[in-house]
Amino acid sequence: MSNSYIPLQMKVSRIGTEDPARTLRTYDLTFVNESEKEAFKYLPGQFCELSILGKGESPFGIASSPTEGDYLRFTVNRTGSVTNDIHYLRNGDIIGMRGPLGNWYPVDDLKGMNVLIIGGGFAFTTLRSLLIYLLDSRDDYKDITVIYGARNPDLFIYKDEIAIWKQRDDVQFHLTIDKPVDGWNDKTGFVPTVTQEVAPSPENTMAIVCGPPIMIKYTLPVLTELGFPDERIYTSLERRMKCGIGKCGRCNIGSKYICIDGPVFSMAELKNIPEMV
Amino acid sequence: MKMVRLDKQKFDDFIRELSAEYSIFAPGIVGGKTEFIPIESGEQIDTARQVTDMSAKGIFFPPSEVLFEYDKDGIRAAETSVRPIAVWGMRNCDSRSLIMLDRVFGSAMQMPDDKKFQDPYWKEKYDNSLIFGLACNEPLSTCFCNWFGGGPHNTDGMDVSVIDAGDFFLFEPVSDKGSDIIGKLSSVTDTSEEDKAMAEKLASNAESMMPPLLDLSDLGERLSVLFDEHIWDEISAKCINCGACTFSCPTCHCFDMQDEGRDGKGKRVRIWDSCMFPIFTMEASGHNPRALSRERVRQRVMHKYSYYPENYGEILCTGCGRCVMVCPVNLDIREVLRKILTYKEQVR
Repeated sequence: MSNSYIPLQMKVSRIGTEDPARTLRTYDLTFVNESEKEAFKYLPGQFCELSILGKGESPFGIASSPTEGDYLRFTVNRTGSVTNDIHYLRNGDIIGMRGPLGNWYPVDDLKGMNVLIIGGGFAFTTLRSLLIYLLDSRDDYKDITVIYGARNPDLFIYKDEIAIWKQRDDVQFHLTIDKPVDGWNDKTGFVPTVTQEVAPSPENTMAIVCGPPIMIKYTLPVLTELGFPDERIYTSLERRMKCGIGKCGRCNIGSKYICIDGPVFSMAELKNIPEMV
Repeated sequence: MKMVRLDKQKFDDFIRELSAEYSIFAPGIVGGKTEFIPIESGEQIDTARQVTDMSAKGIFFPPSEVLFEYDKDGIRAAETSVRPIAVWGMRNCDSRSLIMLDRVFGSAMQMPDDKKFQDPYWKEKYDNSLIFGLACNEPLSTCFCNWFGGGPHNTDGMDVSVIDAGDFFLFEPVSDKGSDIIGKLSSVTDTSEEDKAMAEKLASNAESMMPPLLDLSDLGERLSVLFDEHIWDEISAKCINCGACTFSCPTCHCFDMQDEGRDGKGKRVRIWDSCMFPIFTMEASGHNPRALSRERVRQRVMHKYSYYPENYGEILCTGCGRCVMVCPVNLDIREVLRKILTYKEQVR
């Protein structure tokens, strides 16, 4: 019987720093074992448990796209004992990984549709995965609009890639920060307000929202107001997921477990679930 | 199915026969409390109390269990296969709980086949087990298994049902596994019509001691309406979130995984956890979806009487009454259920 509690061994192959304070770092991990690499199939929106032996595990959304290459990318905010130890990793170090866990964004349903991606802060990880996935088969989708907000310019992740995406004429990319700062030429204001301003058309459009709970909470009603039906609003939720396989009991919202029934849910699914954010 | 009889003088012979194939667990006294312990002879067994202090879940889902060990050479999964386990003296409130837990650990919820995560540690132990139940002839005042489809002589989840008839036990196979083992035992003998009449009398006598039924047909509906109501403040007002109810509960199965080790060597251990503790759901950011006692108490009640039934069609409570017995502030789940059924909505 396969044992879903045993982490696979991954090697750190690249480390990037996302912010000047160096609290956000991005790690590319490659499989130590070739057969495990072959067996590992994932889609944008799924997550993994990264394991520091002796410290424990934490869940992270997969930031790479399966279309990209042989590595898995994770962006890690240094905030607790596991993430602190991850920040001490060097190239070539080994880290444990369990996954892929959870479900994924409805990528098959997006074909032939406009896609609106709304993200906040360092929750842009799985949205990066999605965006790369879409751009790698650009012709399959119609308009792609991205609204990405952060508290200040430093806290956007993947800044180099954002610069490239902003240059493209086949992606509408809107950046916003909470409060104006000198030298900032993009939008200011919270994500829900900016969404209202940008007012993307709900016509044949799927909205995908991922960010901190407060952002999700106030963005979903804006989308409804703009005319998005519940079936075409998707969001990715977060809880303290431990086992990742629907057993340990801590990540439920109502009768659903974020780790196996989610983390991706449509508004239609969430309507009947209490305490969603 | 055929009923057989085991005279109590032959009990040790029976245990010896069983031991040839199985490790035997039965209620025994540890530190003045009863729990299921590995036994070698009948002397170690104490089934005087109808309901053991600790439930039987720990046999298959131990309070602490090594998942894997690690050192500089890598990770080694803990051995999941163990010598088959036979349990003696399990009451219906515990045997029924194992069916409920098996839905969580044995298979997975509504997931496609490639996502049906099975728990090898539970599954190896439970699937190969042999359970001798023990009918309750004198239910306690805290017993309410009849509310949830159980009963003092109910045999769900057992392989062999056992009735203590004074000088002898009456065995009846419940599952195929149970039939097989009874066929193999040399310590048992045939029963007479009198024995069968005795079994029926004990059962009806025990039934008569059970509390009146509570109509729970509206419970799920009531709970979905009451989610935002003040009832949770009222119910949780005296709860001190000690978690005693969750640890003694035969159906509570939440766990934590913790690493123990130093100098690059150690193990990852699964330990019982409790939704009563704020840290259970506390996220690294400091955000806690169930920060308040009312939210945690609500979660426990909702999980048992609303969420699990929604997922599996059965209430996650067997009416063992342990939570009633152990609660330091006398929070009685039977009263909570009555309150839920009769509460008048105030919010919205």
